[in-house]
Amino acid sequence: MLDDRSPIYRQIAERIKADVMSGVLKGDEKVMSTNQYAAYYRINPATAAKAFQQLVDEGVLYKKRGIGMFVSPDAQEKLRAKRRETFFTEVVDPMVAEAKAAGIPLRDIIRRIEELEDS
Amino acid sequence: MKFRILLANCLFALLVWAAFWVLVTLITVGLGLTGRLTQSAWEVAAQLPRWYALFFGVSLIHEYLPLYVAHGRTRRQFGVEGALTLILFAPFLAALLVISYQLESVLYGLAGWPHVLERAHMFTEPTQVPLVFTEYLIEALAWSTAGAFMGAAFYRFRGGGLLSIPVGVLLIAFAHSAMGVEPWGPFLLAWLRVLSRVVFDLPDSPLMPLLGTVGVLVVGLLLTWAIIRDMPLRNQAS
Amino acid sequence: MRIEVEDLVLRYGDVTALDGITLTLEEGKIYGLLGRNGSGKTSLLSVLAAFRKPTAGRVRIDGQPVFENGRVTSRISLIRDVGETVNIGTGEEALSYAEALRPNWDGEYARSLAELFKIDLKKSVKNMSKGQRSAMGIIVGLASRAPLTMFDEAYLGLDAPARQVFYDQVLADYLAHPRTIIMSTHLIDEVSGLFEEVVIIHKGRVLAHEEKDELLAKGTSVTGPAAAVDAFTAGMTVLGSRSLGPTKSVTVYGELDDARRRKAAESGLELGPVDLQDLFIHLTAEDGAAR
Repeated sequence: MLDDRSPIYRQIAERIKADVMSGVLKGDEKVMSTNQYAAYYRINPATAAKAFQQLVDEGVLYKKRGIGMFVSPDAQEKLRAKRRETFFTEVVDPMVAEAKAAGIPLRDIIRRIEELEDS
Repeated sequence: MKFRILLANCLFALLVWAAFWVLVTLITVGLGLTGRLTQSAWEVAAQLPRWYALFFGVSLIHEYLPLYVAHGRTRRQFGVEGALTLILFAPFLAALLVISYQLESVLYGLAGWPHVLERAHMFTEPTQVPLVFTEYLIEALAWSTAGAFMGAAFYRFRGGGLLSIPVGVLLIAFAHSAMGVEPWGPFLLAWLRVLSRVVFDLPDSPLMPLLGTVGVLVVGLLLTWAIIRDMPLRNQAS
Repeated sequence: MRIEVEDLVLRYGDVTALDGITLTLEEGKIYGLLGRNGSGKTSLLSVLAAFRKPTAGRVRIDGQPVFENGRVTSRISLIRDVGETVNIGTGEEALSYAEALRPNWDGEYARSLAELFKIDLKKSVKNMSKGQRSAMGIIVGLASRAPLTMFDEAYLGLDAPARQVFYDQVLADYLAHPRTIIMSTHLIDEVSGLFEEVVIIHKGRVLAHEEKDELLAKGTSVTGPAAAVDAFTAGMTVLGSRSLGPTKSVTVYGELDDARRRKAAESGLELGPVDLQDLFIHLTAEDGAAR
């Protein structure tokens, strides 16, 4: 279930995770500071720090004292593995449910996926 | 920077005085040319600066005190600077009036107009610099002190400040009477002389008017301090 | 600066504006001070800034009493709508007094802010528009760099873009020069992002003082079929409810643990966040719905 608490720091964490997963942020690369995030999102730096803390707890980032936050070397693989785990329950299952509600036959969905694969 | 208020007000007063001087001189010349000038014009004009002094006293409390307190000064710190500012602003105003009379005497001399005084003053000639200075110094001190006191009362008690008016008038009356000049009457001065001789054993001297004014100043400033020492800043603009 | 307030009472004649405020604010955070009109926001800030002497109670800032204590007050700035720091001559003159009286004054910053707000400093402040006068107050408040900086509804009369400049500058200057900042406001949605902690006062008392994210986490909207919503929210602190046909939406206050969340999902209920403004409105509602 989606966490509905404090959307902003969750958004920031999700954005960083997405960048790590897609390779925009690479292992051992430095991420922007909490202050830079705070200024960009117009939020209190403590809120931005919470997003970072969450990512540190999840092992996506690590802290170098006095220097800043860096992407964990294995973060991309970890996030991808986790995503693979939840992909079907979080993405496919709801999609199928919605397709059923809209009366779209599963065959059509499969055909669409195959088309995308080919192109 | 110390005496920021004094400097700003001296500068502003100088500008106002310059404009006022031009106005008075124009009227003087106008009256002189039409032959209706029978006395010193500045003797009449000099009745306005006392009101200026009064409102200067009011503004000290109404504008500068909130400004200073809002910028982190204590009322005590402001009280000291405000009192010094008030005491030093008075001789500045008095000096401007001395200059006015001096310039006027030159003008009257050139035009051949009668440079006479119609009212009783501490001075008998407009060119008696020390006496002219003293009279207007006493006046400026008394009126600005009374202004500060009444300004404080109105700022703090709003309508209740009306009660401060008789006290303010009394402060001014005492100072004027200390000059020993009609129409305030030598009565109060005589009273002061008795007081000073009996209580302080002071000799009768020409400094008596100044001494009386110092008394008025001290009493007026203490009364003002009693109002402002723990005065809140207003929540609404006046 | 660290602020400690204990049993603070402030009365204006018969009116009790502050009715026993006890509050501790740590140094170096941005606080939002929320309250309805007449709740005592201005009174509280005025006491903290030594504009007023408290009727009773204790106020300490960095461990020291505040009223008539120059060592403390010289480090405090409160900008109010009244405009006592700016209603003096022209804009230039107002800045020159601030420069003379404020130990950490940054004149260059003040001038750059004046440009941002498009203020003509040659103009007499009393002849400026309401918004321009507010901007003057904001300029003085920010450029004073006081270790305790407070803005009491300092945005009145500013249009939306100018208010955005205000918020951005508060944040930027806070990041560059960390200090304790307290902002009282009615435009909660616009600024709530800046706050680290929120203090809500109501009728002269502290109704809530929490980290903003914690406070937000306590508010949840529960939406679904009326019967299911009623069953789920029974026994919870309900702040408000609305109905649309068979659908009901209820705002509850209090932490929801994971078990409760699962239960909600199982009952087909939708849980949603409540923003600070809604939470504030519900918490300070006058009809007794507040806790």
